[in-house]
Amino acid sequence: MPRTTTLECSGCPPLRALTFDSLGLIKVVEARDKQWAIPQVVERWGEPESSKCVMAVSMIDRNSQPLLAVARKNNEIEVLSPVNGDIQTTISDASGLDDRSEENNIVGLHLFGKQNSELDSRYCTLLTCTTKGNASIRSIELADPSTRSSCIDSPKTWNVCSSGNILCCKVDRDENFALFGGKGVEINIWDINNLTKIWNSKPPPKNNLGIFTPTWFTSAAFLTKDDHRKFVAGTNSHQVRLYDISAQRRPVLSFDFRETPIKALAEDIDGHSVYVGNGSGDMASFDIRTGKMLGGFSGKCSGSIKSIVRHPELPIVASCGLDCYLRLWDTKTRQLLSAVFLKQHIMHVLFDSKFDLKGVDSSLPSKEKTQTEMIPSEEVEELPLKRKKSSRNKEHTEDGSERKKKSKHSKERKKSEGKDEGEKIGSRDERRKSKLKKKKSSSISELLFG
Amino acid sequence: MGGKRRKNDDDSDVEESETAFSKRKKTVATEEKKDQLRPSMIKNKEKRSEVHAKLKHQKKLDKRAKAKARDAAVKKALELGEELPEKKVPRTIENTREFDETVCKPDDEELFAGNDADEFSSILNQQQTPKILITTCRFNSSRGPAFISELLSVIPNAHYYRRGTYDLKKIVEYAKNKDFTSIIVVHTNRREPDALLIIGVPNGPTAHFKLSKLVLRKDIKNHGTPTSHKPELVLNNFTTRLGSRIGRLIQSIFPQDPEFKGRRVVTFHNQRDFIFFRHHRYIFEKKEVKKAESKGKKDKDGKSDNVPEQKVIARLQECGPRFTLKLISLQNGTFDTKGGEYEWVHKAEMDTSRRRFFL
Repeated sequence: MPRTTTLECSGCPPLRALTFDSLGLIKVVEARDKQWAIPQVVERWGEPESSKCVMAVSMIDRNSQPLLAVARKNNEIEVLSPVNGDIQTTISDASGLDDRSEENNIVGLHLFGKQNSELDSRYCTLLTCTTKGNASIRSIELADPSTRSSCIDSPKTWNVCSSGNILCCKVDRDENFALFGGKGVEINIWDINNLTKIWNSKPPPKNNLGIFTPTWFTSAAFLTKDDHRKFVAGTNSHQVRLYDISAQRRPVLSFDFRETPIKALAEDIDGHSVYVGNGSGDMASFDIRTGKMLGGFSGKCSGSIKSIVRHPELPIVASCGLDCYLRLWDTKTRQLLSAVFLKQHIMHVLFDSKFDLKGVDSSLPSKEKTQTEMIPSEEVEELPLKRKKSSRNKEHTEDGSERKKKSKHSKERKKSEGKDEGEKIGSRDERRKSKLKKKKSSSISELLFG
Repeated sequence: MGGKRRKNDDDSDVEESETAFSKRKKTVATEEKKDQLRPSMIKNKEKRSEVHAKLKHQKKLDKRAKAKARDAAVKKALELGEELPEKKVPRTIENTREFDETVCKPDDEELFAGNDADEFSSILNQQQTPKILITTCRFNSSRGPAFISELLSVIPNAHYYRRGTYDLKKIVEYAKNKDFTSIIVVHTNRREPDALLIIGVPNGPTAHFKLSKLVLRKDIKNHGTPTSHKPELVLNNFTTRLGSRIGRLIQSIFPQDPEFKGRRVVTFHNQRDFIFFRHHRYIFEKKEVKKAESKGKKDKDGKSDNVPEQKVIARLQECGPRFTLKLISLQNGTFDTKGGEYEWVHKAEMDTSRRRFFL
């Protein structure tokens, strides 16, 4: 037989991710097994249409009434439920800002979770920012999707920059401050509550050759949960910079990463490591305290990375981009856990951390769930393939465990020959138990007994 | 190896169990082999080579016998008018290719929707006629200009512009203003064309190919000179998503309404990620078939049926250059090496298997 190397993907713990692609489709990827499973596309929302290309997304990730907002290329914002994809409301921009054109797409979108809970649950508040720098905050009523709901109060709008293009827009965890940056726009930080600019960064000085690199921020991320003062920004000139508002206006730390522009940045929950993805599909994690690279994520990733998201609880990071794959990585070992082929250029990915397995397990046998799964025609094709793969993997693992078992058999036989009957039985019992457990645990028990 | 393993068996139990496991897995054929004395187990060289030669001879005989039996079966089937026994398909690298989930399926609506939305759809739907700008790298001499003049004859509605000292980005701007649909840049190194850049113009992707094995028209024996008819295009084996995208990029260079009168074919054949370019003129000729048989008939019937059986055969005449392309990168948007986003870049870590292909 020809020798083929298969990419060894160990699978993921139960998780649910939403991907948003260039044809405006939202695909739900779930890994459902209790142990390590291969994630699959379980649902697809929307019809393929190029004008609906997703530009920005935001989600309120909570147990009761989670919300998902999607900004599309035709300047429509949809608010949907991330559980079943029902469109709660659509806003087209006629109600919002007047000077919208093809060039003036929405690049930044944020759904306020905090303020929403204070208000009536039927309202949600949105921050949007367009390429030209028109930012606005508005509250919308979640009416039924047939009627185009308008804002309840007149939107608070302001201009972030006079020239240049905004490319990144982030809101910190407490939702008091927003950050804007882009091509020709230094990073601004605005206090959202009273709409004042509180800080503006300053470009680094000319280098020793007297060459000034033009400002071009492509991505940014706040570093820690409770601190809006520290953030990381990636530039088009493949530089990653750490800014500290309280310290200085120039970057505290900056380092280069490869040769193509940084396209995606994500912070870890530990507060000091960041994940960096660039335009040629390289991804790495850095310790931002020292600026040293912790390691690269390598796994045949060939297309530009558009978005990196860290799972809020599990040690998993997801990346997606122009290579049409959603890739899930282990943050510790930096190994590829799994890759899901999603057919289109993927613009964004989000984790639904409140996804629990019990709900799925109980709903799986019920007919409703299976019906919704069967409706899209691709799923029917895809599932057998995936299943095949998973079954192959299973075989592999079984092989391994069998081999291990056998070797252990012989070992224990030899050892137990000298020993008395009772202990033999005991050891056998232990073996049976350890069969169920994983390799590591079994080897430990063996050590304890032998 | 086997001998060594047997020795080790006494030492460690783990290995014993492992060999036992592998033994179980092995087929009957290997068990038979075990009974025989393998030459590698013999330590005396003379004896070993003797046994080896014997084995080899035996193998040869077996092979010959097998072929003979196969031929006989075919002959028998032919005589009896039965169906011929199935021919075994040799295992090649292509047909044992690694499983690739990105291979396009014929009934994939998302693929069609994606195709309708992509940069080439206006050209491929004939809403726009392709207009190509061909230029070179800064320094260009010897085989470069010759190659370009041949490209001009291959691609209809292509215009050559001298590069001068313009930036490629400026040229892209110029082409946008002049309603070109694609730009082809021939890169020359040491007076030998070695790379090809195809840029889709308003916002299309940029494909960077390595160009090798270039044979110009004058170096092809019995070559023809192409006419100015619009050629037909043959794209072979562009199966994956990336492949179909590259195929569409190439397709968008040529006009979508071939003039069959001209009998020109341009072929892009993908095999193991190498894209072979050929340019032919074909002709259908009517030929009498099997003169020997007709002669026999003449002898029997005495020139009674003078009408010879005719059969249409196609003949090819190669004209135009011959070269091979290999994709290095596909970049989203027009040419921008510093700020561009790549849809696909070839990386060394991808080449871990000979059976993995991307197009």
